[in-house]
Formats: sequence, C-alpha cells, structure tokens
Amino acid sequence: MRSSRSALTCIVAGCLVTVLALAACGGSEERAEDEILIAAIFDLTGPTADVGIDYADAVRGHVDWLNAQGGVRGRPVRLIYQDYGYQVDRAEQLYTQFVQEGALIFMGWGTGDTEALRLRITDDRIPFSSASLSHVLGDAHESPYNFLVATSYSDQFRIVLRWIAEDHRANGGEGDAQVAFMHNASPFGLSPWAQGGEDYAREIGVDVTPYEMPRGATDYTAEFSRIGQSGATYVVFQNTSAPAAVALRNARGLGIDATFVCLNWCANALLWRLAEDAAEGVVGAIPWAPLTDDVAGIRDIRGYLESRDEDYAGKTNAYTQGWWTMAVFVEGIRRALDAGEALTGENIKRALETIDGLDTGGAGPPLTFTPSDHRGSKGLRLFRAEDGRWTPMTDVLTAPSWGPDAP
Amino acid sequence: MESGVFHTDYRTDIGLRRVPAERVRLGLFMGALLVFPFLASPYWLNLANQIAIATIGALGLNILVGYTGQVSLGQGAFMAVGAYTSALLTLRLGLPWGVSIVAACFATAAVGVFFGLPSLRLKGLYLAISTLAAQEIVEWVVTHWTALTGGVEAVVVPAPRLFGQRLNTDFGFYWLGIILAGGTALFTANLFRSRIGRSFVAVRDQDIAASVIGVNVFGTKLLAFATSSFFVGLAGALTAYYRNIISWERFTFETSILYLAMIIVGGLGTIRGSLFGAALITLLPAMIGTVGRELQGSAPAVAALLPSVQQAVFGIVIILFLVFEPEGLSKLWRNVKDYFYVWPFAYRRGEGR
Repeated sequence: MRSSRSALTCIVAGCLVTVLALAACGGSEERAEDEILIAAIFDLTGPTADVGIDYADAVRGHVDWLNAQGGVRGRPVRLIYQDYGYQVDRAEQLYTQFVQEGALIFMGWGTGDTEALRLRITDDRIPFSSASLSHVLGDAHESPYNFLVATSYSDQFRIVLRWIAEDHRANGGEGDAQVAFMHNASPFGLSPWAQGGEDYAREIGVDVTPYEMPRGATDYTAEFSRIGQSGATYVVFQNTSAPAAVALRNARGLGIDATFVCLNWCANALLWRLAEDAAEGVVGAIPWAPLTDDVAGIRDIRGYLESRDEDYAGKTNAYTQGWWTMAVFVEGIRRALDAGEALTGENIKRALETIDGLDTGGAGPPLTFTPSDHRGSKGLRLFRAEDGRWTPMTDVLTAPSWGPDAP
Repeated sequence: MESGVFHTDYRTDIGLRRVPAERVRLGLFMGALLVFPFLASPYWLNLANQIAIATIGALGLNILVGYTGQVSLGQGAFMAVGAYTSALLTLRLGLPWGVSIVAACFATAAVGVFFGLPSLRLKGLYLAISTLAAQEIVEWVVTHWTALTGGVEAVVVPAPRLFGQRLNTDFGFYWLGIILAGGTALFTANLFRSRIGRSFVAVRDQDIAASVIGVNVFGTKLLAFATSSFFVGLAGALTAYYRNIISWERFTFETSILYLAMIIVGGLGTIRGSLFGAALITLLPAMIGTVGRELQGSAPAVAALLPSVQQAVFGIVIILFLVFEPEGLSKLWRNVKDYFYVWPFAYRRGEGR
C-alpha cells in the first residue's frame, strides 16, 4: 500500500513536471519573417460561450480564408488565440503573453476584459476590438486604441426606442409607450441604458423601466409578473441568446402580451434553436446580417463555409460579426502597408482612421473611422423573426444623434 | 561528532527556522526572488504578481479557515471591500495610495468582524452559509450603490507612484508584491507562535475545551475574522492598484471558491501551503493553456475539444492532489524532505515506529 501510494504520487508529480516543462518551452517556435501576428481571446467555455463559439470560428475562419487567398499584400497572417472562459485575470495574462510574442492587434471579447485592458492597450499602442459594443469604448479621446466595428449598444437601443415610439403611435397607443428593459446583470447589460438610453427615452417620451436578469437564472416569473402589472407593451432584451430564450419561453407561458425586442447578442439563429416557437415575432436589432441573408457581404462567408462542408444556416450572426471585425482590421493592415509604413500598432491605428465608408457588401452598414470617432457605424436594420429565420423589416436606420454626440 | 541538530536552549528550540538547511533554503528562495524579475519576461512577471496577491489573500483566508476552523465563503466579498475602499478613497478623496491601502485593510477588517458576528451561534456549514450571505450582500451593494461605487461600471484607479515611477508596471509591482507577501507570511508565522495565535488553534481543535482553559471563544473568533479580513482586504486593494481598473466581476462567489481551493490544495493551516496553493491555482490554468496552444498546431483534430479538455484537466489535477495527498502540497513537500533526509539510505523518518 505504502509503495503503490508513493508510486502514484510520483506519477502525479511527474505529470505536473512534464506539463510545466512543456509549458516553459512553449512559444519558442520559428515563424516566417514577413508573418503578421494577430492575437485573440475567445470565450469557448464561459457564460457567453453560446455566441462566443461562432465568433471565434469566424475570426479563425477569416484568417484561414485570407491566407488561402495569399494573405495581406502577399504577407501571411497568423492568429494566436486562447479560450479565456470570460475570466478577466486570464484575459490579462494572455494579453501580456501575446503582446510579448509580437502581436500587433488584439481581438478581445467581453465588456469586462475590454475595460480591464483599455488602459494597457493605450500604453502598448495595440489596436483593439472586442465584441463588446459599449458606447464609451468608441470615444477616441478616452480609449484611443479601441475600435467599435458595429453599432454601439447605446445607438442600437436608441434606434429601437425611436422605433417603439413610432410603432406605439402607429398602433393607436395612448400616452407614452411603456417599455421593460431586461438586461444582463453586468456592465454589458447596463451599458445601453446607462450610456445615453435613459436620457434619450425621457426626451422622446418613452417610459422605460430596467429589470435585471440575474446570471444563471432559470425562471423570470417574478420579473414578468412585475412587468405584467406595470402595463409594459414592449420588452427589450440586452443579453445573450440563452437567457433571452429562457425569458421568452417564460413570458409566453405566462401569457405576457408584449412586443419583444432583442438587441445584438440575442437576435440570432441560436434564439430560434433555444426558444423555438416562442421566438416567433421577436424584433431584432441586428448590426451584422444573419448568414441566411443573401447579400454580397455574406456570400464570401457562405462560400468559405461551403468549401469546408459546414452548414451556414445553423450559425448565428456572431459569425458575421467576427468575420467582418477581422476583415476591418485586415483592411487597416492593408492600408498601412500600402502607405509604405512600418507595421506598428500606431501606424495600423492611423490607417484604420482613414477608413471612410468601407463597403461591407450589405452585411452591415458602411464603416467610417476618424481620429476623433471610433464608432464605425451608427446604423442597423431591424429584423423580425418569422418561420425560423430573421427577415429584414426595415432599411438601415441611423441612430438619432444625441447629447454629447450631437454635432 | 553530533549526528543531528540538537537544540540546547529554548531560544533556538522555538526559533522560526531551527535547522541550518531551512535557513539555506530560505536564503536560496529569497535569492531566486531577487534575481527573477531581471530574467523573467513580462508574462512570467504578470503571473508572479498574481501569485503574490493570491498568496496574501490565501494567507488571510488560511488564518480564518485553516487555523481557526471557521469556514468562509465570503472571500470574494472581502476582497471587493478592500479593492473598492482603496480605489474610492484615492479617487474621491485624493488620498495617497499607501494611506488608502492601509485604510482599506482596516475597513475590510471591520466588515469582516461584522459578518463574523453570526459565528457566535453558528458553526461549520451553517457559518459557511452565513458567510455566503456576506458575499451576496456585498456584491449587491457594490453593483447597486451606484452613487458610491459606480455600480456595474468599472472603476478606473489612479496609478500608484513611488519616487515619480509608476508602480503598477509588472516590474515595479513585483517588488511591492513580494515585500507585502513576505511581510504577511512573516506576520502569520509569528502570530501562531503567540498566545493569540495559539488560542485561534485551540478554538479550531475543540472550542469547548478552549473555553474551559480560559479562551474567550467568541472574542477569538471575531479577532480571527478581523485578522483574516485585514489581509484579504490587502489582497483586494493590491488587485485594484495593480490592475488599474476594477469591476465587481473580479470578486464573485467564484473567487471565494477559488481561494478555498488554494488553501485546501496547498494545505490547511500552513503558511507554505498558502504559497503553494496560490501558485498552483494561478499557474495550472496558464500552463494547461500553453500546452493546449502547442497542440493547436500539431493536432487540429483535438483543437476543437481543447478548451473543454483544459477545464477537465484542471479539475482532475485538483482531485488527484486531494486523493493522493489530502493534506495538500505542503505535506507533499514534507514527504520530499523526509525522503531526502537520509538519502540514499532507505530508512525514513516516521517509519519503523
């Protein structure tokens, strides 16, 4: 017994030493001279993995597709990435590691890690984009190296609020429209409300009440009974698909008679899979079109997926967003190379700021960055969930200019 | 010739390091710590700093859980109190960072005492649940008292400076980190050689017996909560200054569990264990991640599974440690020492008795 036990202890210790040794040797591999290094962190196992996996696949897919076409001006792109499970500490470690390995650009993910890295990327001059579309991150004065490659949450919310006000009047509603804003309990969830949404709602006479959706909740009966009593006829979700689907099923079960609206992260194919019939009729604020939308900017993606025998119909529009976020950065690199500049974070940032009306082939509105404004787009289309897919219901709506952003 | 180390007076017998080998090891370890930052890359410095902070937090938790036997699930909350207090004192009142860190430690100690009050009546699992309530309450206050904490938004903490140098760089913070971690370890080691520390242990081992021999059980428990929270608050405050930016998401229930895992895997009621546990729990995911990245290129077939495998490996390693050495890494270290004690001869201490 004694000897077998110490033998096992030795095995465990041996394994650990091997892991440590392997890890210590890591990262020393040779790389091509002209290779361009881009770093990314993904959430593949954490609380936002429901949409994080598609986003990650898209970023990897785009790099793969790009290299198959000969890279950027003949130079191959290499993506170094790691799952960080939505943990801020892990994101910081990986950021340090990747930048040290020579990454020129960093693709983040959540609002938490983006906020945590905001000051460091400015010091290190690393252009940064994340899936977080928090309005403040687009303020080029505060965060000069953050780029928002889609409509900010606040702009999405304002577009939706304006649409609600019009829809409410068109349907003969009396008084102010009553809106329940159900949000993830995090900076991500509260961002559209805190950063302009609240003030704008007051200005246009829409009565909005925020409701927090506790993390990991499986039932929202309490919230919906309050919403039912408040007489709200519109419910706006700022959350990912999984919790939004739970809430939708809940609401339908309770017979809540309201129009449901999903911002960016729940208006996707996953909502259909999870909520099924309960998703019917939901309005989606979608900056990046779903893959079922037949426009030029989507066809490249479909072509790539088909060449790999993958089905595009099951993918969410997080895929489009990941693909195009990467594409915009590649455009920045291309412009920096064309200008004959050395590839540094600073030059790529400057090159990105020359992008004016970049055509995304209908996948999203044209993108424009300037040295003072890093919010690439101000508009989006509203979609409606019908028969298992998202169908466009409006043309591109531009966010109302408001408060500090007003010209 | 002496065939061992024999202490001939009380002074050396109760010394912190009683054997020359221990002093040599400590010297080597400190030497390595001094050289490390000049050789290590920023990535390793980043990890080292995280370990230093985790060590302080784990030592704090160990004082309460390992030495006094009061299970706490409120570690995350107490760290949040430390982090937010120090950050807000500097941000709102403009206090220098040193002052606000100390103030944060005392504030956390006070909060710790408050949430330690139920320990008068509650023990074991029941107390654990009441500290869980502390976690939830603090988290709620931080996310909802918007006027004070900024709510769910992140708080940007002004960079600490010393002699005009920014201290929150990986290199600069390293020195602050190891000095404070070393100081905490020294304090804890000496605490448990004192009357107060011994009364902590007495309460853990058998509280009724402790009260019979004249230990004020309730007072001792509260003092343990205060001492523990003081250091946990320090760990929180250091997190704030090192990271420059804090949000409530850093100090969730998950943090509490992770710290408990550190001291259990490291060894309950040992100082060395707190360091080992903090290092293991910090390094393991990073190492597994690096190995995973190596496999990304060479074995694309498993690449898709890697993230989940990484999490599973993390769990399995912890289970294996607990199965093979329930007393933690600290005991494993002692086994290694015992093995080499009379190496290469087979006789081992503790055997044949």
